[in-house]
Amino acid sequence: MKRLLGVALGVLTAIGGFLDIGDLVTNAVVGSRFGLNLAWVVVVGVVGICLFAQMSGRVAAVSGRATFEIIRERLGPRTAGANLVASFLINLLTLTAEVGGIALALQLASSVEPRLWIPVAGLAVWLVIWRAKFSILENVTGLLGLTLVVFAVALFLLGPDWSELADQALSPTVPGDEGHAVYWYYAIALFGAAMTPYEVFFFSSGAREEKWTVKDLSQSRLNVLVGFPLGGILSVAIAACAAVVFLPASVEVSSLSQIVLPVALAGGKLALAVVIVGIVAATFGAALETGLSSGYTLAQYLGWSWGKFRRPAQAARFHLTMIIALLVAVAVLMTSVDPIKVTEFSVVFSAVALPLTYLPILLVANDPEYMGKHVNGRVTNALALVYLVVILAASLAAIPLMIATGAGS
Amino acid sequence: MILSDLLDAPVRAASGDLLGYVVDVRLVLDGPLDGGILVTPRVHGLLVSPRTGTSFLGYERTDVRSPALLARWLRWRHRGTFLVRWSDVAAVGGDVTLAQDYRRWSPTFPETVHQHPTT
Amino acid sequence: MSPRVRRTALPYDVDEDLPREPTPAGRVLDARLHLLDRQTLDVDDVPVACVDDLEVRTASGSGDVTSGASPAYVTALLSGPVLGTRLFGGRPPASRLHRILWRNVADVGTTVRLGVRGEDLDVLWVERWVRDHVVGRIPGGRHDPQ
Repeated sequence: MKRLLGVALGVLTAIGGFLDIGDLVTNAVVGSRFGLNLAWVVVVGVVGICLFAQMSGRVAAVSGRATFEIIRERLGPRTAGANLVASFLINLLTLTAEVGGIALALQLASSVEPRLWIPVAGLAVWLVIWRAKFSILENVTGLLGLTLVVFAVALFLLGPDWSELADQALSPTVPGDEGHAVYWYYAIALFGAAMTPYEVFFFSSGAREEKWTVKDLSQSRLNVLVGFPLGGILSVAIAACAAVVFLPASVEVSSLSQIVLPVALAGGKLALAVVIVGIVAATFGAALETGLSSGYTLAQYLGWSWGKFRRPAQAARFHLTMIIALLVAVAVLMTSVDPIKVTEFSVVFSAVALPLTYLPILLVANDPEYMGKHVNGRVTNALALVYLVVILAASLAAIPLMIATGAGS
Repeated sequence: MILSDLLDAPVRAASGDLLGYVVDVRLVLDGPLDGGILVTPRVHGLLVSPRTGTSFLGYERTDVRSPALLARWLRWRHRGTFLVRWSDVAAVGGDVTLAQDYRRWSPTFPETVHQHPTT
Repeated sequence: MSPRVRRTALPYDVDEDLPREPTPAGRVLDARLHLLDRQTLDVDDVPVACVDDLEVRTASGSGDVTSGASPAYVTALLSGPVLGTRLFGGRPPASRLHRILWRNVADVGTTVRLGVRGEDLDVLWVERWVRDHVVGRIPGGRHDPQ
């Protein structure tokens, strides 16, 4: 019974942990402009993150090495350093977006100006990182994030034309009023939102935090292979809600209040309250993950002591890094940048930086020195090589498409 | 000297011909015991490849053959890599110059004991 | 593009099968593959530093290695400012090298294990400074998370 509970908890937190502000915003924007014509990208992204998280979790559990230690060991200090700079900045961008997302959600709930909420949100994120145990932090935010299931419920209540949605999802086309370049730009954004590098940094470092061993491998595989696809289904539900409400009216989603509007239309005040709780939890959880990831990446590259299982004083530089990252995020948000815009950029840059994180994990997952008999099997490697090509293509195409389309506008 | 004085340094024959670059330094643990637990590593030789870059992945030296396409490509990129013994090194500091009658050895790692203990 | 020599310009055939060396008596480590950029852990499994470089000396202890005529040995792991050398080139003065002497190394695997406590090593002075002056002074900084 206890084991069953553990399995359920793991899967549920994986669903909640999959969704963050990047998924919310990108799926809603894409839904409002393209309907479900890009839903296939979510499938590609979910399979990719399953493969990637499963490999990095296995490497962490078997060899005891977290992702950025591996990146430096394999790529050497220069290439790994370039990856560190890029990953750290993208992570900071994502952290900024998540903290901004918390503030926006709290604004929806309270009508208090977000700039008053931003320092509060930043302080709350820091307090949890500083004082709460890793397992509590992971489970509570994961479970609260599950309330985003309300998007799927709302979709049913909206009573959409299912055959039209299915048609868009199964035989995708570029809608008449959108260009091909814009279509592919948003494809990359969706891919980046599903396969953000920070999820892998957090996932593999979390395996160390919770002292995983080979025995935990089957549980972790189950969490990933069941939890992430269910999270992906929620992503599609968010896009579908936006498609039903906004696509016929040709309204492009550009604010959080628009993202939750379909839920409010379908389920009234109660549903709105639930979805706000879900967004606060999902963005708060992701802010914790990105905040921790800023510490993990730098500490692992430089060989510092790190981890929440230690007292802050025993991982001093790790904690100082996270404090500085949070201060920067709050300071950036106080300049009144739009967190939704920050989010849109962060998911695209995530796709740009992905290959340098993906390749070393793939190589080490094949190295018996680290993995013993738990090296990748043939099927995993075949799929992993296909994804290497996909990831490289997305990475190379992202910036040119961003310039060509004026970031999708 | 620090090791990065050697790494990536151009390697020349006594005649001055460029042979490649130092991609790694092979150490053997058979030096004196210096009051510690392990004996001191002795510099045994230099691994010289026509190419710098990506050789630190080590595919030309180990038995790792997967993922097959990547492994084959990396191995092919570093064909021509050889090991030269430290005693065949005539001068270091800037470029590395080899002795007149230097000998090339296979770069293959001599043992497969580097396996994770869980096997 | 990283530097390379055209294979046709080489004075030997790149596809030639080279003889294998007789297996040496001691354990073999390729510095870049097995030592550099690996994490060092102290005797209590606490991360100490990354192996940023290695110090090489002659049998007499001189750091002035000029040829392979006499044996050379790895005497210390280096960490800290020396990383800049590998990133950007140049060279920090010898007095600024942070050493972990080889005699403190207990085992080399996917991590480098030390036989001493990190607390006693001077490579950790920045960590101690941040702990004593910043993180340790914030309330809760010295307690276990709850």
